[in-house]
Amino acid sequence: MKFIVIGAGRVGQRTARVLREEGHEVTIIERDSSKSDAARSDGFTVVEGDGSREAVLEVAGVEDADAVGALTGDLNANFAACLIAKHHGCRTVMRIDEDYREEIYQQYADEVDEVIYPERLGAIGAKNALLGGSVRAIADIAQNIQVLLITITDESPMRGYTLSEVALPAASRIIAFGKSDGPLGIPLQDDSLEAGDRVAVLATFSVLEDVRQLLVGEDSAAPLVGGK
Amino acid sequence: MTVTAYILVKANTGDADRVKAEIQTIDGVVDAHIVAGDVDFIVKVTVDSPARVKDIAAAGIQGISGIEDTQTYIAMG
Repeated sequence: MKFIVIGAGRVGQRTARVLREEGHEVTIIERDSSKSDAARSDGFTVVEGDGSREAVLEVAGVEDADAVGALTGDLNANFAACLIAKHHGCRTVMRIDEDYREEIYQQYADEVDEVIYPERLGAIGAKNALLGGSVRAIADIAQNIQVLLITITDESPMRGYTLSEVALPAASRIIAFGKSDGPLGIPLQDDSLEAGDRVAVLATFSVLEDVRQLLVGEDSAAPLVGGK
Repeated sequence: MTVTAYILVKANTGDADRVKAEIQTIDGVVDAHIVAGDVDFIVKVTVDSPARVKDIAAAGIQGISGIEDTQTYIAMG
């Protein structure tokens, strides 16, 4: 797919790199000449200019871009860029600088398809790092729903069972499964859980702990709930 | 004497509808918009003295729950 990323700062540059690594075509728009140079020497196509101006977005190819990420630290510029990009039929993603604004833009800004607050994603990463171990929170889907990526360990109570035998709490679903050496894919009833396999689970916060206990087990010091 | 002023309002809540409605009930406020950008609302007031502008910004708007900061610009022309 073809993407335009506005802003070659910390957020924009990394987003552009991830998209490129996945084989997508990325054009960066950056106002600052030294940041533009840095992005160019990193191998990106860079349009130097103000991404909130239509002429600049046109040079960057907004006409046939699939999506535009307005990822600068300037909310006004980000919103104006989304307005223009939406007009050209692009999917639009806008960076905000305060989390309370997420609600406001989702409610009022029809031109913005998705709002991101980088600090929140950073907090999920930091929480994972602090917790360590076999459970990683991937995303907060809504305030009370999270996607977890769980690695099956030797201690997992469900190790050796097939997915059809895993009885998760009602407010949770297995949404993807991957063997230890393979990519994540659609879960099949016959897939069996071995140490090192990964399971992505969608769950409400109220059952997160139950899911964790089923798929990861307690620390060896603590007894399994219902297991002993 | 008529004084017109624009008050830029920064909130710390996503509850923009409630804040806007409360701002609109303040006497002297003639217009209030939720805006994109660094501030969350721009409010236009028309009153009969500069002191009244201060009352609206300080007591009226700042008194609403969820308001973080205001900046007031009195129109000159």
